[in-house]
Amino acid sequence: MAHTSNQGRREHDARVDRQLANGVIGPDRGCAYHPCHHPSQDCSLCYCPYYPCQDPMLGEWVRSNRDGSPVWSCQPCHWIHRPDVASWILERARERGASNAEELRRSVPKAEVEAIFRRRATSIMVLGTTSGAGKSLMVAALCRILSDMNIRAIPFKSQNMSLNSCVTEDGDEISRIQELQARAARVSPMGCMNPILLKPMGDDRSQIVAEGRPLRDIDVATYYGEFTLGEGLDIVRRNLEIVRSLGDAVVIEGAGSPAEVNIYDRDISNMRVAAMADAPCVLVVNIEAGGAFAHVVGTLALLPEPDRQRVMGIIINNMRGDPECLSPGIERVEAMTGVPVLGVVPHVELNLPDEDSMGIAARSGDGPYVAVIRLPRISNFTDLDALAMEGASIHFVTSPEELEKADMIVIPGTKNTVADLAWLRITGLAEAIVSLRGRVPILGICGGYQMIGSRVEDPLGLEGTAGDHIGLGLLNAVTRFQKYGKRTVQVTGIHLSTGSPVRGYEIHMADTEIGGHEPLFLLGDGERRHPEGACSEDMVFGTYVHGCLDLPGFRRHLLSLCGKSPAGIAPPVPDEVMETSLDRLAAAVKEALDMERLLDIMGLRTCAG
Amino acid sequence: MLIGTSSGVGKSVLTAGMCRVLSDMGRQVAPFKAMNLSLNSHVCPDGSEIGRSQALQAFAARTEPEGAMNPFLIKPKGDGMCQLIKRGRPWMDVPFKNGEDWSAIAQETVETCYRELSIRFDDLVIEGMGSPVEINLRNGDLANMWTASMADSPVVLVGDIERGGVFAALYGTWLLMTPEDRERLIGFVINRFRGDPSILGSGVSEMERRMDIPCLGIMPRLELHLPGEDGLDLGATVIGRGCDELEHAWDADLNELASAMRRHLDLDRLIRAMGP
Repeated sequence: MAHTSNQGRREHDARVDRQLANGVIGPDRGCAYHPCHHPSQDCSLCYCPYYPCQDPMLGEWVRSNRDGSPVWSCQPCHWIHRPDVASWILERARERGASNAEELRRSVPKAEVEAIFRRRATSIMVLGTTSGAGKSLMVAALCRILSDMNIRAIPFKSQNMSLNSCVTEDGDEISRIQELQARAARVSPMGCMNPILLKPMGDDRSQIVAEGRPLRDIDVATYYGEFTLGEGLDIVRRNLEIVRSLGDAVVIEGAGSPAEVNIYDRDISNMRVAAMADAPCVLVVNIEAGGAFAHVVGTLALLPEPDRQRVMGIIINNMRGDPECLSPGIERVEAMTGVPVLGVVPHVELNLPDEDSMGIAARSGDGPYVAVIRLPRISNFTDLDALAMEGASIHFVTSPEELEKADMIVIPGTKNTVADLAWLRITGLAEAIVSLRGRVPILGICGGYQMIGSRVEDPLGLEGTAGDHIGLGLLNAVTRFQKYGKRTVQVTGIHLSTGSPVRGYEIHMADTEIGGHEPLFLLGDGERRHPEGACSEDMVFGTYVHGCLDLPGFRRHLLSLCGKSPAGIAPPVPDEVMETSLDRLAAAVKEALDMERLLDIMGLRTCAG
Repeated sequence: MLIGTSSGVGKSVLTAGMCRVLSDMGRQVAPFKAMNLSLNSHVCPDGSEIGRSQALQAFAARTEPEGAMNPFLIKPKGDGMCQLIKRGRPWMDVPFKNGEDWSAIAQETVETCYRELSIRFDDLVIEGMGSPVEINLRNGDLANMWTASMADSPVVLVGDIERGGVFAALYGTWLLMTPEDRERLIGFVINRFRGDPSILGSGVSEMERRMDIPCLGIMPRLELHLPGEDGLDLGATVIGRGCDELEHAWDADLNELASAMRRHLDLDRLIRAMGP
């Protein structure tokens, strides 16, 4: 709408007046144009009191389709429709007695709102030479170090490929590692910290979770061919702006290697983000597998010049043994690349969740032998970390023979229940699991819960072929996939048979009827209290609650059903373990790195005092 | 000779595959790895102890494993010490870092073993160790370009695409090699590729242009059940003693591997480079 005329101006302001009277209305999902700016938008100030602000950061002049006259388009504005901004403006307006558009503009000037909500944080980007270089934990460490210095740090990773996700308080699904980083920064995790989450479904396809919500499934060619530079780039830009307004320093994590020459021009997770945020970069390399110098030199040599200049330092990570022996290598690399090595970080043993889908390995303990079925599309396997803390020995198994020693079986979550159910049958695991019914406790979580039921109905083929699929029949439960959508919610409640508290989150696309079994948990409170999960007398347990083993009650109950009793020492609560781990990690990184130089690179030296 | 951009890129398995390919052609083949850092060892019929991957490679080559195939096995003992197994027999315990003291003797042993095998076999498929360009590790070089030069062998550089950064790893390795060592490279292989090859696009040709060596192929990621490769893979696969059933399974996997290599690699070029 053009407000070049006085009449247009008056009409617009009249609408602003009505909005002022209505107050905060939240998102107007009934509106035909919703969401016209961004999915999480608040529509209370649909008609912007500051329109046309002509702020080049927020919009541009375009030509009207109707008559070619100039129109101020604020489509890219990421600001006025943020829930926190909209409600803040409306509250101030009420306090200050503004009852119409004109008074609002006078009593709550745009500049004042901006001073609070458009502060733009300084930033730094952590790149890696490969996946598993240790970027994620380096970001967590920097967040904790900055937080310890009273600098509000916000983690950000534009695109993450992971099957380990969790749900924020707002119901947004983000990668588990960004949640950990937020915890390290002592800020609440938010969808904007990981605006694109790719959950591999196998066979080149992934589910895109954008801004915390499932968007659609996509194949890799379309992702890089169409999505990244279009919709993807908008999502990243918008959310980067949001995180930059939330804190003092944004610590950005890259993805994989920034030097993938085949997708360089379509990569929206590395140098393009650095450029967008004008962030200096540090390059992390994991020395453990060897070839670290080659990885660093090769990565820097393959970056085009303007991007290469952003790389201000190198961090050698995961060093075992004496860092002194690296000196000749470090000197040569510094001489060849002109980029200083900021430090050599030692290998630190931590109790933190696994980084990504590749970090699966057997963990040992002397306690009960817990066989975790290593489904081809396994997800959320961090659920098992808590069992290891009780001294259980966790084994990821792929064949029936490996179940012989099992004191307990866990069927974890999966990105594709139907396909992995078929895999269970092909491998003979299905039969072996059923034969152990009643002899050892069997726990199915999420996808595993669906599999141990009697049937999985997928009339629309959301998991592949449409139709009904026969489950393992350990429970009578029936699971139904009905629509493309997802339940993502944090939950708390109690484990019914012990009365002990349970806490976790649910991420699933189907619903399950428990078919006459006793429920496992009672979740929620007051009127919203509801049963969840199922258990049978022959020690079969099913639930959608990821993290149900994090609190001790339920997991000890399960372990007590195993032949062997859990190790006698009372394990610490995972939250505390995580905090200690984060502190130890931050201390090790702080000790190893030239922090003064790093803060200088970030432009934070003055804040460091 | 196959060298890798780092540990764990799949050199061992590809070496085994190469042994099988050549054996299928009716050649007498033996694997060779000058030095192996591993806690997974195998005891040969002659009582000598060698790295498990060399034993598997010998199996792939359809020949009995023996001490000469892995002249040095380094077994970390903790506390910064490691046990050195020389040609299958315990030799001495040395501090982990300190390769200088014994590397002169080591060269002699490696060369003797190599010469003996090369007389008895038609082809030797050599596996390197870790990265060939560890600026600080001189004894790492013994197992890589020193061996290549001793054996006057053509060299293939293997990179693993699974963890990302494969182009950087290949190019960086090449950049850090001496011009003489680069002369030995006949090509590179991208290993463990998964998914739609169109995504690799111009990446491969750009690398060929930059390094001036051809890509000899892109190996898909195979689901094999062969024993874990090296010491870094601790706790990966636990393998029973070579019972018949297990060897049967290995055989099937090795055949699958060899056939994948025939489909995906330019073996003609590779074998031509090996000479008569």
